[in-house]
Amino acid sequence: MSEHDAAHAHHAGHAHWDTSIWPAIISVGILAWSLAFSLHFVYHQSFMALIAFGIGIPLIFGGVAGWTGEAMGTGEGLAYGAMGWFILAEAMIFMSFFAYYWYMRLSAPSWPPAGTPPLPVVYPIVMTIVLVSSSITIHMAEEHMHDGNRSAFTRWLLLTMALGLTFLGMSIYEWSHLIHEGFTIATNSFGTVFYSITGLHGSHVIVGLGIFTAGLFPALKGKISSSFWRTASLYWHFVDIIWFFVVSQVYFW
Amino acid sequence: MNRALKHCAAATVMVVASAGVMAAGYGDARIVDPAPGWDHLWREVIIDITVIGILFALMTAYFIWRYRRVPGGPTVGSGPTLSTAAAIGWVIIPVFVFMADDFFIAANGWVLWNSYRDVPADRLEIQLESGMYSWDYTYPNGAHTQNQLIVPAGKPILLRMTSRDTLHNHFIPDFRVKEDSMPGRVTYLWFLPKEAGKEHIVTCAAYCGVMHSYMAGRVIVKTPEEFKAWYEASGTAAKKSS
Amino acid sequence: MNLKEWIFTTDHKRVGVLYLIGSIAAFIVAGVMALLMRIELSSIGPTITNNPSSYNVWLYAHGAVMILGFQIPALTGFFANFCIPLMIGAKDVAFPRVNALSVWLFYVGVILALLTFFIPDPPDVMWTGYPPYSTITTGNTALYTFTVLVLGFASILGGVNFLTTIAYMRAPGLTWNKLNIFVWCVVGAFILQLIFVPVLGTAVTLISMDKYLGTHFFDPTQGGDVLTYQNLFWFYSHPAVYVIFLPFFGVLFEIVATFAKNKVFNYKAAVYGGIFGIVLLAGEVWVHHLYVSGMVDWIRVGQMVTTLLISVPVGLMLISLVGTLYKGSITFETPMLYALGVLFLFLIGGLTGIPLAVTSLTVHLARSYYVVGHFHYVMAVAGTFSIFAGVYYWFPKMTGKMYNEFWGKLGFWVTFVGTNIVFWTMMDIGVKGMPRRYYDYSQFPQFEGAHQLMTIGAVILGIGFAIALLNWIIGAIKGRPAGNNPWGSMSLEWTTVSPPPHGNWPTPPAVGAEWTPYAYGKS
Ligand code: HEA
Ligand code: HEA
Ligand code: CUA
Ligand SMILES: [Cu+2]
Repeated sequence: MSEHDAAHAHHAGHAHWDTSIWPAIISVGILAWSLAFSLHFVYHQSFMALIAFGIGIPLIFGGVAGWTGEAMGTGEGLAYGAMGWFILAEAMIFMSFFAYYWYMRLSAPSWPPAGTPPLPVVYPIVMTIVLVSSSITIHMAEEHMHDGNRSAFTRWLLLTMALGLTFLGMSIYEWSHLIHEGFTIATNSFGTVFYSITGLHGSHVIVGLGIFTAGLFPALKGKISSSFWRTASLYWHFVDIIWFFVVSQVYFW
Repeated sequence: MNRALKHCAAATVMVVASAGVMAAGYGDARIVDPAPGWDHLWREVIIDITVIGILFALMTAYFIWRYRRVPGGPTVGSGPTLSTAAAIGWVIIPVFVFMADDFFIAANGWVLWNSYRDVPADRLEIQLESGMYSWDYTYPNGAHTQNQLIVPAGKPILLRMTSRDTLHNHFIPDFRVKEDSMPGRVTYLWFLPKEAGKEHIVTCAAYCGVMHSYMAGRVIVKTPEEFKAWYEASGTAAKKSS
Repeated sequence: MNLKEWIFTTDHKRVGVLYLIGSIAAFIVAGVMALLMRIELSSIGPTITNNPSSYNVWLYAHGAVMILGFQIPALTGFFANFCIPLMIGAKDVAFPRVNALSVWLFYVGVILALLTFFIPDPPDVMWTGYPPYSTITTGNTALYTFTVLVLGFASILGGVNFLTTIAYMRAPGLTWNKLNIFVWCVVGAFILQLIFVPVLGTAVTLISMDKYLGTHFFDPTQGGDVLTYQNLFWFYSHPAVYVIFLPFFGVLFEIVATFAKNKVFNYKAAVYGGIFGIVLLAGEVWVHHLYVSGMVDWIRVGQMVTTLLISVPVGLMLISLVGTLYKGSITFETPMLYALGVLFLFLIGGLTGIPLAVTSLTVHLARSYYVVGHFHYVMAVAGTFSIFAGVYYWFPKMTGKMYNEFWGKLGFWVTFVGTNIVFWTMMDIGVKGMPRRYYDYSQFPQFEGAHQLMTIGAVILGIGFAIALLNWIIGAIKGRPAGNNPWGSMSLEWTTVSPPPHGNWPTPPAVGAEWTPYAYGKS
């Protein structure tokens, strides 16, 4: 597209420049959410905060939807390589949390600190199995996509999303159970670490599911971009691998 | 090259020597005061970097002047195309020279650092609790002062520091020392007051809040006799009041 | 001109220009903060405000906006965006929409930073945001957190985008060893950003969690530890200084090679020894900001050595840069003047880092105006001069017009004088014991004269910068046409028309085996 435009511009002295309004819309949404946090937590204006948050929701979700609708399949074929770089950055976020956790734990006089209830053993294993299977199913989906089998692709994709949702549901159950027992993020330094690391991981599951959802609707209409799905599944594998660190460090150490 | 060799040799010697100082430092009654050591090392490092800076600046200035475009002169440059050997040489030799200088500076810095961290055994140990915005000193006999650190001349003073609230930093410019204090940890610093009758500024060097720049105190150096009198009097006063 | 095609643009050049406008605006605001601080410090005791909090807020805004809102966006936002696709012969970046998102997020970040002046209880945590103060102040620490997060996210998006672009979109024949040094420098800078920004993001998120969500990361009474924040913060913020340093040195390479009409001296040493040496060492030296923070002793000594070793790759780059002058044919237009100024002033800044690197010397120097002097020489002087040099240099490409040479040179000399008055004096009083972040220095009456001198110097400096800024504005409006390649450079960006159209070239360029961006005297 741009080659034609550039040539055009050259001859007619009048250019058509590509534009997209979705980045702007998403950014304004992020601004609204940032303000909502300040309004609620710093200025205790909860009503205003709610409004700001409410403004942010349609902007961000609408922006993402509009963006995927506009860009899906239009040659962002380098996304796979780019996701590698992005994952490097993401991995560093987890590294920082783990570094904090190791440092704190190794210098603590006794562990776990007072107030920590015993954590379940079987339950996290089940969660691990669920998440690992979802990695396998997304891989299957990808295989079918490469074979051109569209309905099988959608089936495996939906299965993956179901597994992801199950995992999230299990996390939420686990959290509410522990909070019920009086173990919260503010209980002690382990509570702080436990909830922030599992929460951080959970938020990545949510983002992964969000990416799947964004691609699902075009896919249902038959618009399947192989670079999109390769990239999305790479991200999902990453989320899965990180879970091994979470589960081994937080539950079983 | 010559300079680099000398530095390299010096660096090796310093590393060995500093290890020796480390090993011998304990149980040695001799007091190594870091403050004059600081002034000495500062002068040395400043000379070192000034020489490097002037060399580079002169070379740059010469090139700028020598290769400016003149009417009738060349209009494109003719910088050399380096052979592989020359290109590697232009890496290896500078790296060697720079590293030699770095190790030289590091070895000297390390020796001085040891005297900052090895506190003489014969010392007066004072607890410091800092808070927004004051310095609270507690002496071994329970005597208590605020913003006034009263010390005898000629005796090493060790402060064991912690904080009630935010970070603070006990900075005594005259003695070339500072170290943070913070909640949850105990840090230390030591210095050697020499001249009785002098006062030295203590100032806060860690941003700690609105009145950070007003968090000041004094080190008041007394003669050993004066100090003893003050110390015993305020010690008994402290006992009575508690 | 179609406003919509500017604001919602996805074209890398326009995104770049938006970055430039935003970061220069940030520079002016933060510069005005600096002037306010300098006026406040021009006499002992209250001068223009009797509330120390106001001073602290100015200082917070000055430091945070200069680094996060001016230099990093100008260097990795404007220069990278405008130059890189042109230098590698690409039509645009790999992900134009992501690029637009990144500049929009940059503006959101700047808006958040500027809100500081309009809200009750503005943040006053300094650009470092150390707890416990940042978690107990009544100031709005959340705003600090979100400013950093949003700007950091913008930068990560830029990093992903540019590394992909450079890896996959180079023109045919443009091999890695023919890249402009500037492109290499941006590669280095963005690798650092991708690795380290997330750590900063985590650090500032943790303080807001502690303050607002009741967690105990930094609360020692519940098993937390205050020092961890400082480690996480500097684990990013030291590499951040090389995120500034690398691109600005890259800009200098381009300018020096062009105005000396010479090839870069020992290119491979600068790239593989210099740039990658810095990337490798950057993550191992952060403790030099914690020499007096109560860390264990062995790590302070270890990082003294690694910090000193940074002088090796930096020295290699400097040799290549100075060597590029050797046997050149040097002319002295405004961009070159600024660049040559940096060659001298960076020496002062870099070499004054050496005493700071020595653990035992820092025991006296840390947190003093000596440090302030050091980093203003490297950043505020060398960094800003390089940015100004670069803007002057690519000005004809960007606008198609020429700035005024006389005012350009005048602006340079005025700033040159001003900087040295201000920042040299800082180092001097720092060694004599003046601590930083002081609203009032009534304990140190002996420094009043020096502070007054610095205030005068800052005004001179401001005038010099204002001359440059006005020169750009006037040049962009009514400068004479500049032509496509006014400097006679070999680099690819000068082969297209000025200003380049959407898509950059009618037919994308390809380069031959003999070509390099610095192959003067060959064609
Ligand atoms: C662009 C920014 C930039 C750059 C490039 C540098 C470069 C360096 N900095 Fe600086 N620094 C800052 C920005 C920067 N710094 C900032 C912002 C702060 C303060 C933050 C705050 O607290 O708010 C700071 C603070 C700071 C400290 C902490 C001080 C303190 O708070 O106590 C230290 C300590 O080691 C330090 C050291 C160095 C060193 C060794 C280099 C080296 O990279 C310099 C290398 C260059 C040279 C050495 C000169 C050229 C080389 C040669 C001529 C070769 C031969 C030389 C030798 C063999 C010595 N810096
Ligand atoms: C890139 C970074 C950068 C830059 C460019 C500057 C630039 C300047 N800084 Fe900056 N400074 C920092 C980064 C920077 N600083 C940081 C990180 C800190 C530490 C913060 C902390 O402690 O947390 C600091 C701290 C700091 C202090 C220490 C205060 C203290 O510790 O109490 C001082 C004091 O004088 C100071 C002064 C100045 C001055 C006079 C300039 C001058 O160079 C500014 C000159 C610019 C102008 C004056 C604006 C000119 C433009 C106009 C006037 C435009 C008008 C014209 C038109 C519209 C056409 N700075
Ligand atoms: Cu206490 Cu600053
Ligand atoms: Cu540093």
